[in-house]
Amino acid sequence: MTELVVDNVEKWLGGLKILSGASFTAEKGRIVALLGASGSGKTTLLRCIAGLEQPEIGRIVIGGKTVLDGEAGVALPPEAREIGLVFQSYALWPHRTVFENVAYGLRLRKRPAAEIKTRVETILDKLGLAHLAARYPDQLSGGQQQRVAICRALVYEPKVLLLDEPLSNLDAKLREEARFWIRKLILELGICAIMVTHDQGEALAIADHVLLLKGGSIVQDGTPLQIYGQPTSFYAADFMGTNNVLSGAFEPQSDGGAVIRCEGWSLPGIWRDAEPPRDASDIRAVVRVETIMVSSEPTATSQPLDVEGCIYLGDKWEYRLRRGSVRLRAQGASELSSDVAHCTVQPASTWLFNP
Amino acid sequence: MRPTESIAMSLANDAPRFRAGVILALFVMVAAPALLVIYQSVLDAPFFDDNVRFSLDAFRFVLTDPEFYRALWTTTLYAFGMVVVAVPLGGLLAFLITRTDLKGRKWLEPIVLVPMFLSSIVLAFGYTVSVGPSGFVTIAFKSLFGAAPWSIYTLPGIILIGGLSHVPTVYLYVASAMRRLPSDLEEAARTAGAGIWRVSLDVTLPMVLPALVFSAALNLLLGFETFGIPLVLGDPNGILVLTTYIYKVNTIFGAPTYQVMAAVTVFLILITLPLVFIQRRLLRHARRFAAVGGKGARTNLLRLGSTGQAVALGLIGLWLLVSVFFPVGGIVLRAFVENWGEGVRLTEQLTLANFKAVFEIPSLSRGILNTILLAGVGGAIAVAFYLLVGLAGHRNRGRSGTLLDYSVLIPRALPGLIVGLTFFWLFLFVPFLIPLRATLISLLIAYIIVGLSYGLRIIQSTLLQVAPELEESARITGASVYRSWRDVVIPLVRPGLAGAWAMIMIVFLREYATGVYLMSSGTEVIGSLMVSLLTSGAMDQIAALSFISIALTAVGLTLALRLGAKLHD
Repeated sequence: MTELVVDNVEKWLGGLKILSGASFTAEKGRIVALLGASGSGKTTLLRCIAGLEQPEIGRIVIGGKTVLDGEAGVALPPEAREIGLVFQSYALWPHRTVFENVAYGLRLRKRPAAEIKTRVETILDKLGLAHLAARYPDQLSGGQQQRVAICRALVYEPKVLLLDEPLSNLDAKLREEARFWIRKLILELGICAIMVTHDQGEALAIADHVLLLKGGSIVQDGTPLQIYGQPTSFYAADFMGTNNVLSGAFEPQSDGGAVIRCEGWSLPGIWRDAEPPRDASDIRAVVRVETIMVSSEPTATSQPLDVEGCIYLGDKWEYRLRRGSVRLRAQGASELSSDVAHCTVQPASTWLFNP
Repeated sequence: MRPTESIAMSLANDAPRFRAGVILALFVMVAAPALLVIYQSVLDAPFFDDNVRFSLDAFRFVLTDPEFYRALWTTTLYAFGMVVVAVPLGGLLAFLITRTDLKGRKWLEPIVLVPMFLSSIVLAFGYTVSVGPSGFVTIAFKSLFGAAPWSIYTLPGIILIGGLSHVPTVYLYVASAMRRLPSDLEEAARTAGAGIWRVSLDVTLPMVLPALVFSAALNLLLGFETFGIPLVLGDPNGILVLTTYIYKVNTIFGAPTYQVMAAVTVFLILITLPLVFIQRRLLRHARRFAAVGGKGARTNLLRLGSTGQAVALGLIGLWLLVSVFFPVGGIVLRAFVENWGEGVRLTEQLTLANFKAVFEIPSLSRGILNTILLAGVGGAIAVAFYLLVGLAGHRNRGRSGTLLDYSVLIPRALPGLIVGLTFFWLFLFVPFLIPLRATLISLLIAYIIVGLSYGLRIIQSTLLQVAPELEESARITGASVYRSWRDVVIPLVRPGLAGAWAMIMIVFLREYATGVYLMSSGTEVIGSLMVSLLTSGAMDQIAALSFISIALTAVGLTLALRLGAKLHD
């Protein structure tokens, strides 16, 4: 069931367009990630859904209710939108206990005291916070504060849960745990959730659907597998993962394949861009670092490259390779002993795009 | 396509009716006195007179009166002279206390601020009884050295005293700029090879220059609006500034000549209003400057060395002696003696007669009670009002926000004396206000306007400390904008409100000019009583009232510190 419709939302700040016609829908029991670099408009989009920013153009429907319609002049205030928002800073009210923070939404909805007590206790218990109910926010750790913020946003059963960089204030270990339990919790509750993040790992791990934003518009949307494995633009390909980027000329092949020619190298690849080549003399190839195979012995498809250096990363080694002015990064399990390494760049992993 | 602005209302423009209502009410309150003054200045008689006509006679009189030009020139000299005295001294004090390892700088800071908390009429009276022609210090000096080579009843004397009393204002702005200065900027210069004094000159001084310029502009404005010091110290030799000229106009004519007072006020506003605007621009500039740096732990204090310590402490000691000890000590002593002079042993003269007289005269004892009421209860009402205005302007980026900005500026261009006078007129002739004139409510309203810019600044900075997400999360959770103020903003700023109340209390305690015209039998206040007692020369009673005023201020200040008020922002 579609819980959220965002239709052609535009937001201006003075003469500057921050959102240019973003559209997407989100379903119950699914998690959508708004992924993008800083300045891509992802937080603005989230705040528009929440009603904290007012877009000039567009339509937003939450749970079947139109909360924003630029043409009809409808713009419901945030409190009338039936949403929950987990702020990046958690924004727990420092003058209230954990219990009071969580209970506030129910009090505003005039629920009977007994019901408030059971519902707050139930959700605190579910997130392992029951013993902290009487504490004040400043007496909690960062991870506990985050869980209180999530309880507060969920307890009154909003139609849509919004999460603004929910993991960015946690340390690395906690973050990996949180990825897992937040996803599990949302799927269990069967709620529609929208998460903003700049961290692709986070988006891929938590979301069912990822929207990649750039300059206020959505450049690609799809499942995590599609976003990482089938990018349709150079920006999307380069934004995700760790990459080698090569510039060169495009040479179509008679068998339908394509080759990029750069610095006396020609690499066969696949044309992945949604559009045909605009300028055949200037295209880009994106090769994910982990797809390059490196061996000390030549193979049928390998090319010899000079080894510039090896960097130990703990769980693996990174190789810095070079041929002419072309530099490549690759990975392997052990340090390279010789000055020359033999690399295989597979055509299926060599994605070609317009720049 | 560029969309129209009409639907581009953002969250900031919530509660538009409340905001517009409060801000319009405030605008009427501040614009009424200013407009009334201008209107009165172009009439030939009091504006309520039946046969009143438009006339420029008042301006003609003023522009042909040599006294006016003398007063204008004196005021200009006074204002600039005050800047020349106060800015370097205040800057130096700020540097010594915030940037060096000066001994005892922790407890020096509150003492340095003392002159700021006393009304200038009390200060001026304190100087009269200590270093005036027959003051305690003068007499003691004469008996030791045969003569006292100074006179405070001259223009240089008045300027010096005015300047010294405004050192704390400069100190506050410059010290806070120096504290905000990120230490890495100075450390960068140190590592580049600059010595510690060189760094102060090449990095610190330019970085705090905006604060220095701002405090100079502020003092210039205060100088043009000054009243108490020239009134007390200038009177014996007939030295007039613009405000005292306005005050004395009645005695020149022998009857109230409102149009002449109004015309002089118009000239005064022509000077002060541009100054207010310049200040506003300077402040924005200074903030932008300050926003550059982050916060850095200051580890490197300049070492003064033993000679430096001695010189610095000597300098500060001298300043404290002249600025705090002389006036305050003079009043304390004078309040408890009736006779003194050369060869009189003061220890034999100690008496409580002055206080007894004060408590026996009904108007004076009432004045003390009224002052406490106005400061305590009135201060609380004022804070509630400023909070309403503050909320109306809180995260308000709409048009009403701009109106609020300008509304706050207007009273700054009007000296308290004039605000009091125009409110006196309003309460005399606006039908529904007439019954309130003889009550403390009329004074309170005028006080609220006089204290507006200071009070609102405290409230606004307190409100800004509430992180926007805390309000936004309440809205998301389902609270209306009013609920979010009631449940989140106000509980969070409550400690700040208590501090603001104490600070407003001090402002109201020391106020003297506003009540000069406005107070009536039954609504006397200490400061204004002192102004009227000056004419009759009842020095014993003025001394006792000054002492009581200082004591009340001390109580207020203790309370403020207890409540955690920040003496500076």
